[in-house]
Amino acid sequence: MSTSVLIVDDHPSFRAGARRMLEASGYSVIGEAADGEAALEAVRDLTPDLVLLDVQLPGIDGFEVAARLQAAGGAPTIVLTSSRDRADFGEALAESPARGFIAKGELSGATLAELAG
Amino acid sequence: MSGLRRALIALGALALLAGIGSVALILTSDHTTPRGLAAALILTAGWSFAGTGLYAWDRRPGNNIGPLMTAIGFTFFFQGLSSSNNDVVFAIGIIGSSLPYAILVHLLVTFPAGHFESRFQRVVVGAAYLTTTVLQLGWALFIDPTKQSDCGNCPENPILIPGHEGIANAINAVQVLTASFGIASTVAIVYLRWRRSTPAQRRVLTPVVLTGGVAFTILLAQLVLSEAGAPQAVEDGTYIAAIVVFACLPFAFLLGLLRSRIGRAEEITTALSAENEQLNVELQAKVEELRASRARIVEAGYAERRRVERNLHDGAQQRLMALTMNLRLARDKLGDDPAATGELLDEAMDELAAATAELRELARGIHPVLLSERGLRAALGGLAERSPVPVELLATPAERLPAPIEMAAYFVVAEALTNVARYAEAGVATVRVERRNGAVEVEIRDDGIGGAKIDAGTGLRGLEDRVGALEGHFSVRSRAGEGTIVEASIPCE
Repeated sequence: MSTSVLIVDDHPSFRAGARRMLEASGYSVIGEAADGEAALEAVRDLTPDLVLLDVQLPGIDGFEVAARLQAAGGAPTIVLTSSRDRADFGEALAESPARGFIAKGELSGATLAELAG
Repeated sequence: MSGLRRALIALGALALLAGIGSVALILTSDHTTPRGLAAALILTAGWSFAGTGLYAWDRRPGNNIGPLMTAIGFTFFFQGLSSSNNDVVFAIGIIGSSLPYAILVHLLVTFPAGHFESRFQRVVVGAAYLTTTVLQLGWALFIDPTKQSDCGNCPENPILIPGHEGIANAINAVQVLTASFGIASTVAIVYLRWRRSTPAQRRVLTPVVLTGGVAFTILLAQLVLSEAGAPQAVEDGTYIAAIVVFACLPFAFLLGLLRSRIGRAEEITTALSAENEQLNVELQAKVEELRASRARIVEAGYAERRRVERNLHDGAQQRLMALTMNLRLARDKLGDDPAATGELLDEAMDELAAATAELRELARGIHPVLLSERGLRAALGGLAERSPVPVELLATPAERLPAPIEMAAYFVVAEALTNVARYAEAGVATVRVERRNGAVEVEIRDDGIGGAKIDAGTGLRGLEDRVGALEGHFSVRSRAGEGTIVEASIPCE
């Protein structure tokens, strides 16, 4: 059974591109969310295996979303992503409960599988 | 040495001689008693007035106080002439002996300014001069000194029209009346001036008011006593007291006059420090305004960088990310699905075109190339063309202006048109940029809903700071329902 994925990003063009790419790699994209609040709701409703979570979101940001999911218990695997570099976030990435970080420019089914298994 | 000082020295020498002459006349007089005391007192009063008057004249040449004091000193010596045994000199002395009191009235009424302040003051002084000259001469024509009780050894009156003592008495009665009026009025004028004066002015007036008050009280007492027929000893006593006080009076005037210099200096200092304080307050306000404006400009710079970063992140960067993913996917599908690959490549090209357009727009926002390369007219044309609300360019300068002014004018128009498109709900906007009266005048007008305020957001405030940095003025008139007029005037010689 394929891994179910929720894509969280405020840019529709990215969500569409990512959905196409992940589906082409065998993932099952079961939902999209445009901001942090919608993401928390979607996780509750859809219980995805994996959340591809943009860091910079309107309202609460990706780090906060990850922290809340973790605190709620039974959290899915979280992979953070951004059009920015890993270095732009400093310690915040290491301190986050997320499994890891993939820069948007490097996102592919293979890099995601490598990180999230 | 100046001509004035030479003349004053000559007058001083003349006063010295007049004093010596008076003393000689008094000491050899057959009818003045007691001679020694009278000589000493007249000399003291005459010389002190003449001396201090000449000094004051020298120190304050533009002020009448010095000449008046000198005149009092000289006319005091008339009383010496009245001690003469020669009938003509005696007559001259009698006629002129009361003149110093009229000049004293003149002096007191006009002290310390040296000029009249009201018509009443002129009347008082005029009456005093009339009493001591015309009336005195009239009285002298009819008075027979040899028949007076206190003038037994006096010479004959050479101008006497005999047999009219009644006229002399009548004139004397008028003189007493006018003199009383003059003295009372002078006391009132000086007192009122003293009451309404500032502390600094009081320092000038007080010595004169005190000494003059005492002198005039004695003078009035002397007048009353002599009319009431008081004993000769009492009358002489008041006479001597009056002269003693009169001898002190010029020093009071001098003290007052010198204090008035100090007082004036103090007033000027006070005025200057008040003005200084005012300037300081204004300067402080200006500094505060500049500090706030500078902070806003710096903050606007940061905000602009954040905006550029945000625009890059949300715009071109996202499109390039999508483009990357599309290309990656296209590469993966290249072998087994050429149709899907072509579709992905088409999408990638669309994303690339959109990203290029967004980058171009962003660059224009950072710096309008059209403006720096072709000037305000072309750049404003570009703004009007891109505006979603129709824009009519009513006037634009054909010539190139200094770059900072072109930039400011351009951004005023750009921001105003952005606001028109976003908030005004306008049907049309007009733009007028003209160079006139040493300034570039910018006006953007729309027919929208109005209600814009400089303080409402950062956009208009930023324009105000931008224009203010060039010493210009910026204003927004925007009554609800009446459209908006944004105006800027930037100095441009």
